[in-house]
Parts: sequence; C-alpha cells; structure tokens
Amino acid sequence: MVRNIVILGGNSHPKLVESICGVLGIPQCNRILGRFECGESRCEIKDSVRGKDVYIIQTGFGGNGVKLNDHFMDLCIMISACKTGSARRVTAVLPLFPYSRQPDVPYHKAGAPLYKTPSENGKKDYTFESVPATPGPGLPKSATFTNGSDITTRLLKTSLTNGTAPQSPTGNGKTYGEGYFNGNGANGVNGHHHSDSVSSQQGVFTKHDYENLSLVSAFQAKPGYKQWVAQAGTLVANLLSCAGADHVITMDLHDPQVQGFFDVPVDNLYGRPLLKRYILQNIPNYKEAVIISPDAGGAKRATAIADSMGMDFALIHKERRPTKITERQNASMMLVGNVEGRVCILIDDIVDTGNTITRAAKLLKKEGASKIYALVTHGVFSGDAISRISASALDKVVVTNSVPQHDHKMALGAKLDVLDISPIFAEAIRRVHHGESISVLFNYD
Amino acid sequence: MSAEMANEIKLISGRSHPELSDKIAKRLGIEVARTISLNYSNQETSFTVGESVRDEDVFIIQSTATGDVNEGLMELLIIISACRTASARRITAVIPNFPYARQDKKDKSRAPISARLVANMLQTAGANHIVTVDLHASQIQGFFSVPVDNLYAEPSFLRYIRENFNPEECVIVSPDAGGAKRATSIADHLNTAFALIHKERPRPNVVGRMVLVGSVVDKVAILVDDMADTCGTLVKAAAVLKENGAKSVLALVTHGILSGSAIETLNGSVLSALVVTNTVPLGDKVQRCPKLRVIDISPTIAEAIRRTHNGESVSYLFTHAPV
Repeated sequence: MVRNIVILGGNSHPKLVESICGVLGIPQCNRILGRFECGESRCEIKDSVRGKDVYIIQTGFGGNGVKLNDHFMDLCIMISACKTGSARRVTAVLPLFPYSRQPDVPYHKAGAPLYKTPSENGKKDYTFESVPATPGPGLPKSATFTNGSDITTRLLKTSLTNGTAPQSPTGNGKTYGEGYFNGNGANGVNGHHHSDSVSSQQGVFTKHDYENLSLVSAFQAKPGYKQWVAQAGTLVANLLSCAGADHVITMDLHDPQVQGFFDVPVDNLYGRPLLKRYILQNIPNYKEAVIISPDAGGAKRATAIADSMGMDFALIHKERRPTKITERQNASMMLVGNVEGRVCILIDDIVDTGNTITRAAKLLKKEGASKIYALVTHGVFSGDAISRISASALDKVVVTNSVPQHDHKMALGAKLDVLDISPIFAEAIRRVHHGESISVLFNYD
Repeated sequence: MSAEMANEIKLISGRSHPELSDKIAKRLGIEVARTISLNYSNQETSFTVGESVRDEDVFIIQSTATGDVNEGLMELLIIISACRTASARRITAVIPNFPYARQDKKDKSRAPISARLVANMLQTAGANHIVTVDLHASQIQGFFSVPVDNLYAEPSFLRYIRENFNPEECVIVSPDAGGAKRATSIADHLNTAFALIHKERPRPNVVGRMVLVGSVVDKVAILVDDMADTCGTLVKAAAVLKENGAKSVLALVTHGILSGSAIETLNGSVLSALVVTNTVPLGDKVQRCPKLRVIDISPTIAEAIRRTHNGESVSYLFTHAPV
C-alpha cells in the first residue's frame, strides 16, 4: 500500500494499468475518459488529486479503433486536468514513447540535394568521398545569382577600370542555374516554383502509405531543396512539458537522445534485464547461442547483452551504399560474424512493420542458423507485421507488454511470448514516489 | 529568387480541409505549397515540406474534421514545428474551427481547460500568430500570448439575410443565453426584432426544457449560433419557435460540426434551412441533407491572410465580407 499516490490510466493499455495497480496494491483513479461525438476528447477526473503524486499511464500505441494521436491528446489533457486540479506532481508514464523513432525518410534519393548538375549526371561518377562544390571564381555560381548579380564579376568590375569587362556573367551562371532547376529555365528566375506543382497530398489516412509509391513518387520536391521532414520527437517532448508533466518515465527509448529533448527529468527504464532473464531461463544451452543485432544502430543494445552474458555477437549490416549503378536502390544485407549451425538471438528495441527482423531472419537462415529467436522490447506489429512474421523464418518472437499484446498473441499463437513489464514500472513508480534511487532498476539481473 | 521575392506567403494545407485551402489559394492567386503528409503504419503522423519556407511568411490552414479532431490537431502541431525548424520567418496557424473551444473553463472539479491546453500546445509548437473564425468564447484569445485574429462570419450572414429575406419580416433568435450577444449584434445591424430561448442543459450533448422570451408570431425566425454539433438544441429551438407561431424557422450557424446523427435530426426537423459556413469540412453532408446551405468563408480568410502578410489592418473584415 502506497499513500498519497494516484494512478490514472489512459485508454491505450488498461490491462497494464490494472496490473501496475495490482502490484502497488492501490485502486485506479476514477475517471471518465472518452470522446464527444464531434471527436474531441472528454476527460473528467472523479477522485481528488489535490496535493497528490499523480502517475498517468498511457502507452504510445493506437489500436482498437482509437488512433495514436487520440491517445496522445488524451494524455496531454489528463496531465493538464491534474495540474489544474492542484496535483502536487504529475508524472507521465509512457511504456512506449510515441514519435520516438523517426522512420526512414519516405522519398527517393532524387529529393536529396544535388551536388552536381544533372547534365554532368552526377550519380555516375559519384563516390563516397564526393563533396559539395564550393562556390568560387571560375566555378558555376549558386542558383541565387542567375539574374546576373554575380558577386565575383561585380568585385572584378569594381577593381578593374571600364571596358575590360570579364566574360558575361549570365552565360557562366546559366549553365549551373538551369541544370540546377532541372531545365525548367524560367523557374530559376522568377522564384515561383509552384507553377507546375503537384498538388499537396491530402486526405490520405491509409496505413503503410509510405510504401505507396504512387503517392510518394507523385510528390516531387523542388529540385535542389532537401525535403524537410518533421522531426516530431522534440515536439512531443515539448508538448508533454507544456501540458504540465513534471516527470516522465518510459522504457527503452529508441534514441536515448530523446531524453535530452525534455526540460523535466526522464527515467528511461530498460527492458534488458527481462530479456536477459528470458534467455537464461528459456533458451537451452544459451552460452552457445549468438546475439545478433539486426542493424548497426542497435549494435550497442545487443553487445550490452552479449557482453554481460558472455555470449558471441554478430551484426547484420544494411548495405545502402551504391556498389554498382544497377544495384543503386537495393539495400542488401550483410552478416558480420558466424552463425553456422547455431541458435541466433536477434535483439532490437521496436518491431513495427517487422521488416527488419524478418529480413534478418531470412539472412540468418541462409547463413545456416539452426534456430532464430527475436527478443524485442516493444512489439508494435503495425501494418502487415503479423502475417509477415508468421510467414518468416523466425522461430520465436519475444516482446514485452509495453503495448497491448492480446490481439497479437491471438494471431501469432505459440510463436509469440510476452514478458510482463508491470513489476518494473510499479517498482519505478514506487521508488520515484518515495524519492529512492531507481538506478538499481537499470542494472539488476 | 531575388532578395525582393523573399518573404512571400506560403500556404500550407493540412489534410483536414483541402477544399478550403484550395479556395483560399485561388483567392490569393497562389498555389498551395507542396507538402506530403501521411500516417505511418504505426499511426504516427509524418509531414514533409516540399519547398523552402526559409524566411517566408507561412500560413497553415487546418480545420478540424468532425470525429478526427485530435488527428487534425496533432498534424497541425507537427506542421508548425516542421516549419519552425525549417526557419520560417513567421508561422500563422489558420484554424477556422478552433478545437476544444467549448472546454474553455473549469466548470467542474478537475475538469480540464482543454482550450487553454490547445493554445499552449500551439505556442509550444511554434505558432507566432493565430487566425480563427468565431471563437466559441472570445476570451479564448486570452489563453494565448501571441496575437489571435478572431474573424467573424457575421458580415457574411448579414449579406445572406439581406439577399434572401426582407429583414423587416425576420426575428433574430438566440437559442441560448450565451449566444445573445452574437444574435443581438445581427439584429441591431438589420434593425429587426430579437428573441431568446432559454434552455436548461442537464448533461453535455443533452438538451432540457426550453422557454421563448420575445415574440416571433408570423415572422421568419432566424436562429443564430456559433456551432451546430448534434443539432439537438437547434431542432428543439425550432420546434419551440414553430409552436410560438413563427412562419418559418431557419438557422445560421458558423461551424457546422454536425456530428453523430445530426443530419437525420435535421432532416426530420421543422427547420426550413440550416446555413453554415465552410469552416468545417462537410464531406457528403450537403448531399445527405437538402436543408443544408453553405456560405463560403474563404474570401474573408484569404483577405485576412493577405492583410496580415502586408501588415494592414484586419478590423475592416469584422464589419465587411469581401465578395
């Protein structure tokens, strides 16, 4: 029994809230949380929170007909309601932090800045060491100066006397300018690039539509301009602080840097001890197995487990660099390490569409792995992940219940094992409430 | 692009109301900026600006579609934040229908003041200026520490009444005490009579008993309100007016949210027409409800954008509707 503490649950994961309350031995806070018919969230907190330490549990997962953004707004509104209800401290508990992962940019390389004019057909002699051209005399000018207001020639004009005018500035500048704007000559001058605009893509709420090439390819960025993809992680952090969160507890942030986006303390719990315990208890002869990181970004996560358990480690490397012109778009995967005849344990933080781990599993099978486990903290399983995983070479997928896993478990059956994180969160809440150190939660085994 | 061309209007449209954005763009004689906005399969929203907004005057048009308020709001916040990180000079959020405007006070213990939260969120995301139409309570402007231009649909309504009715035969009716100010203002401009319906509201979205104050006998009763949500109020008010001898009853409402079974309620009501502006995307509701008429508000918003960009006064629009 813990006093003066209020556990307030969102609608995203009622079961987790229940079991955290069960561990702490306190009832959930009474609240009304729903939606008005017009779509606005409706929140009323029935129990007093005055002077209390409030913990609001809402995971970053949309499902069962409620959208992720709805859950996030609900969370903000609940935080704000507790704040205006004179709560002493409001802690947002987000087992899965929404928008923590910035997925790969949804456009082709064509949207990236061009270093060279297309007439030179830059890609052909592109090497990894290529650098953008630095403007200088004799080199093509930047597009801004196509109107003839060329600085170098102007400088020359001021220093030289009349009559000895250097070569025509426009003639020189045009070559770069026109090519830069993809031969759409007039555009470069008047600055109206929207004249041939493909209308903005609206009204599309389809799933998985970054793979919808018709949508993406219909969208052509202004040549030479790097598309500005919103980085929502900072925004989400700011919005939580702005709603009034005094403290944030989350688990296995995809980018640990997200912690730095906040002005308030963020406790990033680890799912690693749970995964380690699973390996110890459920994988026979685990010392012979190999820990695999499915991409270079997760190498640190995987090596941490491999090192502490004295296991071998291998890494799958996504080759994105163009090796040949024909294979430019193909991201081939390479295994670094040996898995022949051994049990492989893939370690990752999020399985979303399942693309990474299923492809990794395919590669591992090809390399002769005997059995493949995937141990992942957050099992989002969006899009066609479920069918992809059931058809894949993975023998077992192990996730935590940071998001509701009931439906996934129904669909995947014995292939999926779910680890319970509620004791970790309950303990973190208890310790934060009592002002005890939670660092013991980071490294217990 | 020469230096003088810099700082143009950049019109960015969210996904909630592209028709309105297109109308505004057409009115301003510019194109909507090329953007891509989509939801990943994990339902996170992603937004990409397809052209430079560096040092531009960015106007983001995002209404809130009925039933998808939070989705629209998050998208707006993400767009604002994207424009801010892309070095826009000024970011104006054009929100014709301000979301959560009705949750603007702590009417119960521990009730959230969501309108204030939305205001704070918009500013946190990086909005420098807000343009909206007929805020439910103009006090919401006080939730912001950035300028808020609250435009009125009133001039458009006045024109509609003058064009379609003889003002002398009309009575302007406010369906509740809260809207009395809005209704009296229209009545004063038209020099017509005014009546008020007093209602009791036991729970949200439920309407209780209604009493008419004033006379509507043999007149065209025009109900004026700022939003029509489930239409329960309007329909009951219309019935009360009919009982009290009104020749016909129509309603002029700024925001036609029309959620739930509003269309069916309207179709079965004694209202002869419901006139709304296009601040909220109506979808197929116009086809489903023959009583629904739409006034285009885009000239007012477009003019407000133009004036804001050029640093001209916007107050002209409070009394005049551009044609």
